[in-house]
Amino acid sequence: MISVAAVGDLHVGSDVRGHYRKHLTGIADRADLLLVAGDLTRHGTVAEGRIAADELRDIGVPVVTVLGNHDYHSGAELEIAEVLRDAGVTVLEGNGTVVHCDGTRVGVAGGKGFGGGFAGRCASDFGEPEMKAFVGYTKSFAARLRHSLRSLDDADVRISLTHYSPVKDTLAGEPPEIYPFLGSYLLAEAIDESDVALAVHGHAHKGTEKGVTPGGVRVRNVALPVIQQAYAVYRLSEASGRR
Amino acid sequence: MSEDVPQYLAAHIHDRLADEADELGIRVDIRGDLVYLRGEVATPQQRQRVEAIARDIATGRRIRNEVHVVAVLEPEGEETLS
Repeated sequence: MISVAAVGDLHVGSDVRGHYRKHLTGIADRADLLLVAGDLTRHGTVAEGRIAADELRDIGVPVVTVLGNHDYHSGAELEIAEVLRDAGVTVLEGNGTVVHCDGTRVGVAGGKGFGGGFAGRCASDFGEPEMKAFVGYTKSFAARLRHSLRSLDDADVRISLTHYSPVKDTLAGEPPEIYPFLGSYLLAEAIDESDVALAVHGHAHKGTEKGVTPGGVRVRNVALPVIQQAYAVYRLSEASGRR
Repeated sequence: MSEDVPQYLAAHIHDRLADEADELGIRVDIRGDLVYLRGEVATPQQRQRVEAIARDIATGRRIRNEVHVVAVLEPEGEETLS
């Protein structure tokens, strides 16, 4: 069994410097690794990226994160990723990593992801170039996620980590009109093609924690306002799989 | 003035909250001369900032600030996925 701590949407700023880190004391007694599902910052500035890096530095367990839409807001996403990496945090953007936890190889693949909506109510790759760019971005990310999850074939347990949601279950509580800006079924389709034990995401602050992909993979929305605690802990075994 | 039209006013407040406070998740509803703000932010200061932005645009209307500050509680419990 491994214990995975997960949280999203920290939205740090200079006014809350050090606040989140206080809650990470003792995390090594409760979890083997921490996943952060994006939106570490509010404005996406490098200064906020440094604050986020300081919150997550040397907490006693490996930290794997993706960026969120807020982290892209100032066009400094590459620099933010760099300051996080300098603090020892693994930052995924369409790729994967394997974390060794007490003899178990935990594979995590992911990235920010993007929107588009859910089957039957979604944007199509059709029409104006702007629309094609919108849908094309999600399609291209989903292709990388699919490839990265498949490449984790030497992992004992596989986890998908995104900012945007792969399913609409975990958006319940958000206005349905904005679902296409909160996630895409293309992410779930990619997840369902590998043996994934858990799909973690954030972004939907008014959503709900628990959902499942059409293929039966458990999905958890760990946005801070949803879980209302510093992080949620999920215990997984090599046998954890589809429901 | 499009600010006189409740729907446009709500949309303009929403836009400015995104632009100036980086808050995308605040719901803005106009009922008569009342502007309701609902959602969650990280700090009391941010809650006040959201209200100030809404007040600046919605001249002549009263603001009902129902925005909550997210409490980050100590982690407890765990879920076993078998």
